Amino acid sequence: MFRWIGNVLGTFWRVFRSPSGYFSLGFLTVGGFIGGVLFWGGFNTAMEATNTEQFCISCHEMEANVYQEILPTIHYTNRSGVRAVCSDCHVPHNWTDKIARKMQASKEVWGHIFGVIDTREKFLDHRLEMASREWRRFEANDSLECRNCHDEQYMDFTRQSPRAAAAHQRGLVEGDATCITCHKGIAHELPDMAGVHGWE
Amino acid sequence: MRLFSVTVLSCIAAFSLLAAFSLLALHSFAAEGELDALRANVPLLEEPTPEPLYRVEDRSLRPVREYPMQPPTIPHRIDNYQVDLNANRCMACHARTRVGETQAIMVSVTHYQDREGNYLGDLSPRRYFCTQCHVPQTDAPSRVGNTFVDMSDLIRGSRQRSE
Amino acid sequence: MTLTRRDFIKSSAVATATTAAGMTTTAQAQNIVTDAQHTQLKWAKAPCRFCGVGCGVNVAVRDNRVVATHGDMQSPVNRGINCIKGYFLSKIMYGEDRLTQPLLRKRNGEYHKEGEFTPVSWDEAFDVMAEKYKAALRDKGPSAIGMFGSGQWTIWEGYTANKLMKAGFRSNNLDPNARHCMASAVFGFMRTFGIDEPMGCYEDIEAADAFVLWGANMAEMHPILWTRITDRRLSNPHVRVSVLSTFEHRSFELADQPIIFTPQADLAILNYVARYIIENDRVNWDFVNDHVRFMEGNVDIGYGLRPEHRLELAAANARDSAGARDIDFERYREFLQQYDAETVTRLSGVPKQQLDRLAELYADPDIKVMSFWTMGFNQHTRGVWANNMIYNIHLLTGKIATPGNSPFSLTGQPSACGTAREVGTFSHRLPADMVVTNDYHRRFAEEIWKVPEGTIQAQPGAHAVLQNRMLKDGEINVYWVQCNNNVQAAANLVEETYPGYRNPDNFIVVSDAYPTVTAELADLILPAAMWVEKEGAYGNAERRTQFWQQMVTAPGEAHSDLWQMMEFSKRFDIEEVWPEELLDANPEYRGKTLYEVLFRNGQVDAFGLDELNPEFDNDESRYFGFYVQKGLFEEYARFTRGKAHDLAPFEVYHRERGLRWPVVDGQETPWRYNAQYDPYVEEGRDIHFYGQVDGRAIVYAVPYEPPAEAPNEEYPLWLVTGRVLEHWHSGSMTRRVPELHRAFPQAVVYMHPQDAQQLGVRRGSEVRITSPRGVMHSRVETRGRNRMPRGVVYVPWFDASQLINKVTLDATDPISKQTDFKKCACRIEAV
Repeated sequence: MFRWIGNVLGTFWRVFRSPSGYFSLGFLTVGGFIGGVLFWGGFNTAMEATNTEQFCISCHEMEANVYQEILPTIHYTNRSGVRAVCSDCHVPHNWTDKIARKMQASKEVWGHIFGVIDTREKFLDHRLEMASREWRRFEANDSLECRNCHDEQYMDFTRQSPRAAAAHQRGLVEGDATCITCHKGIAHELPDMAGVHGWE
Repeated sequence: MRLFSVTVLSCIAAFSLLAAFSLLALHSFAAEGELDALRANVPLLEEPTPEPLYRVEDRSLRPVREYPMQPPTIPHRIDNYQVDLNANRCMACHARTRVGETQAIMVSVTHYQDREGNYLGDLSPRRYFCTQCHVPQTDAPSRVGNTFVDMSDLIRGSRQRSE
Repeated sequence: MTLTRRDFIKSSAVATATTAAGMTTTAQAQNIVTDAQHTQLKWAKAPCRFCGVGCGVNVAVRDNRVVATHGDMQSPVNRGINCIKGYFLSKIMYGEDRLTQPLLRKRNGEYHKEGEFTPVSWDEAFDVMAEKYKAALRDKGPSAIGMFGSGQWTIWEGYTANKLMKAGFRSNNLDPNARHCMASAVFGFMRTFGIDEPMGCYEDIEAADAFVLWGANMAEMHPILWTRITDRRLSNPHVRVSVLSTFEHRSFELADQPIIFTPQADLAILNYVARYIIENDRVNWDFVNDHVRFMEGNVDIGYGLRPEHRLELAAANARDSAGARDIDFERYREFLQQYDAETVTRLSGVPKQQLDRLAELYADPDIKVMSFWTMGFNQHTRGVWANNMIYNIHLLTGKIATPGNSPFSLTGQPSACGTAREVGTFSHRLPADMVVTNDYHRRFAEEIWKVPEGTIQAQPGAHAVLQNRMLKDGEINVYWVQCNNNVQAAANLVEETYPGYRNPDNFIVVSDAYPTVTAELADLILPAAMWVEKEGAYGNAERRTQFWQQMVTAPGEAHSDLWQMMEFSKRFDIEEVWPEELLDANPEYRGKTLYEVLFRNGQVDAFGLDELNPEFDNDESRYFGFYVQKGLFEEYARFTRGKAHDLAPFEVYHRERGLRWPVVDGQETPWRYNAQYDPYVEEGRDIHFYGQVDGRAIVYAVPYEPPAEAPNEEYPLWLVTGRVLEHWHSGSMTRRVPELHRAFPQAVVYMHPQDAQQLGVRRGSEVRITSPRGVMHSRVETRGRNRMPRGVVYVPWFDASQLINKVTLDATDPISKQTDFKKCACRIEAV
């Protein structure tokens, strides 16, 4: 068995490493480039496609729960019409983290197939676990996904309500809070907050 | 509208101007639509343009209470503040233990009392849903004024009278 | 001002100091006034003016003005807290457009239907009014007279109206706005128990392990009871709360079991629960065998529309809607078989798992369960059935009349129970659950009222919805509306309300404290005293009768509804209102005025002014020369004593924070039908439903039937109407309180954001809401306190500038005649 596999791989390797006696170097270079572009384009398109809200809410679990919850919030409609879709907050924007997150997402496909949160009750049972994971991520990366849009460097505190300005000054500028420290549950409902710092 | 046209006609005949004023003084109302200010003086079978959705005041300025037991209105927005079995967003700032960090105002001591008046170790559950007594204020204009008099004005009056 | 020696020394010292500093000052120089002479407030108790919870309030008065109110610590109902409306009670009387003079429509110095409202004296007002009444009596007889009252009337106002209409004018066309609110609950009680009002009380809340809200949004509509439920649920983690509604509202914040169902499918869910109890062998047989029997109600009973409506013509039992026949348990069980999980899930949209969890709260013998409902059940074309069905569940499990086990019918108005129901101001009723159709009951009332046999008519009068129809049809021609705003409140305004009020054949009188849309359509407006401007009494949802004193005087020439009715009765000689036959048989009444017959009868005028509490004013008594409220109450109380509705002596209520009837030997009754608490239970029984002759409550087999109207291609949305926390009913009081107005300034259409998107509108867009009956403009709200499912919209009715009842349907429960304000079809378009 192992020998057979070794033979196949050996044959493949020999063919693969021997120079082409058939295609021109130009063809191989240009063809490889085009092939690469096509492959990368396809890969990227797939990545982009799986980053759209349409893709996310094609699963019932997302459409019936988290999507319904974001509808009445400021991250869905607001003054300027700049809105966040799922991936803006839940998929890192830099390449390696994004790939890592996409690989983790395979677990969600598994969850979808096996109906881990396919009813509202099951979803609520898992909400704390899921929310905590996101909070940990935001805490670890200093709320990077928030800061892609909201950076305190560029906040004009005089344009904020007095209590928001004071809290941002105290927490973000002078203190060591990060966005998620205070802004939990702003796009989706909160799980049971017993034991969560800042809530009791 | 009819009240208005009555007034216009009166202006034409100078001597009836006086009569028009006396009518006004007697609060004589034209027919439908002139009476109920809460309907914006629009006749019943007509549809007024609905008022816009007003903004909620968000200046965090403490309101003056008209008597000490009156619950203060909420001087800021509370959009999507979750108060339910899972979480109490209001108390995340206004709880006794939280005000140091948040510099919000601690809820009144009565909020720690149970039905019998005993003090509990934390918020009394009967006070859990804040918006039953405390409401934010929009900048909607009043349709009808209110002549309520603050007790301090009456006290000032009586103090001046007695001097 | 007398100074004590200590004061003198203190003030001398200050005087010396300030003289030295070259300042002048008064005897007390602090910036804070501490002198008791100035800071003393006069406090007295009153029940809240608003909902049926009946919270106790302490009211502070100074210089004849209310200056503060707060929750009464001593009130067992609310123990020191109020809701936002209650906390602002102090301001409700001070809207700057209070009515202070009678206003009559006049043209060229005379009454004219199309005239302009002109201030007149009370004399002129009553002269014109009496002339209209007398003309109506002469031309058409008593049936041309109608009156529409209120569950916000004081007990003696309702009692006076009842007597004035049913004995005085001999017209039963008297109905309260409680018809829109409680009638289905009343008929539910009468059918199941034979006696009105809840057996339990608010203390059930502190004893229950589970709460089920059937359509009720107590977080907004009964906020202080909600605080008690919240207290119970959060203090005791084992407690469960189940909330059922057609959309998600604030009560869902406390829900362990949130359940959204398709409108009208509550009937199917109720029968599912009953079936679940039986099929899982959880019936409490000891209880059922001893205390319960079974009946099957008539079906296909129509929708209370005008008789010529196609739905009425098609209904088999529209004329005998309340009919029922005896059955046995096996037939009941067989009847329920159609309500299997699959069918009920299809009708209601509620998954089986949720249905079973709900049913288990009732089925589990170890869970004490309390059910609450209000307008969700009552404003329902099958409202009486829904009430019967909830009792079915409690009776099958024996979970009733013991602390914590309580089917509890909430009330909307502060005295829906005390005034509308107990006093019997409905068109078919007399005090203490008696009815005009019963010869013995009429005779009993005539004896107490000291009027001749045959005075009270045996035919029920026109109920609320029928009154509007009869006004439109010109059958009722003089109509007095007191203490309510029915033009705003009644369904189908454009087609059925407006035409009657403006019908040239009719003379409409409206008594109110403020100009309302109803007042706008009146011919004569009478300025009314309100709340603590008069001595009053209300009865709340747990049978608690509560009194208050007059604390301030009414503005201008405003008078209480009580004064208005009594004073108006002076304008009639008895010969002008009673037929000759009645007077021939009882000549001793000749030569008297109606006022003398009804109110100077040796009973109402039995108590002198010396019995008044000298601490408080009493405008009516000073005017009429006797203690009016006491006389009326004591005469009324005779109906109740010994009839399982016993009321305590008058003075007791001024001392107590209310008492729950029956009050026997000075003891109130927290739980009725239960031998431990209720003196009316027969010796030797533990539970006794003594309202029924055989002592057995009745389980009714009644089905799901479709609503009168459902969404269709042309009108694809469900329209649900109701209240909001910050406003009371039509908003005539609360919208004049600036803080309440600013908290919720105008009505909006709550809808699902994706429904809005589909219609091409967004939050704040002006839209037109259309039904076959009318159109209203409003603005879209996709955020906020309510979360609508797709296809359902909610519009509150408090806003006079957005009269949603132009759109609603005047379909009623054919048994109770209560309108279904919760279900009709509508269309929404962008403007």
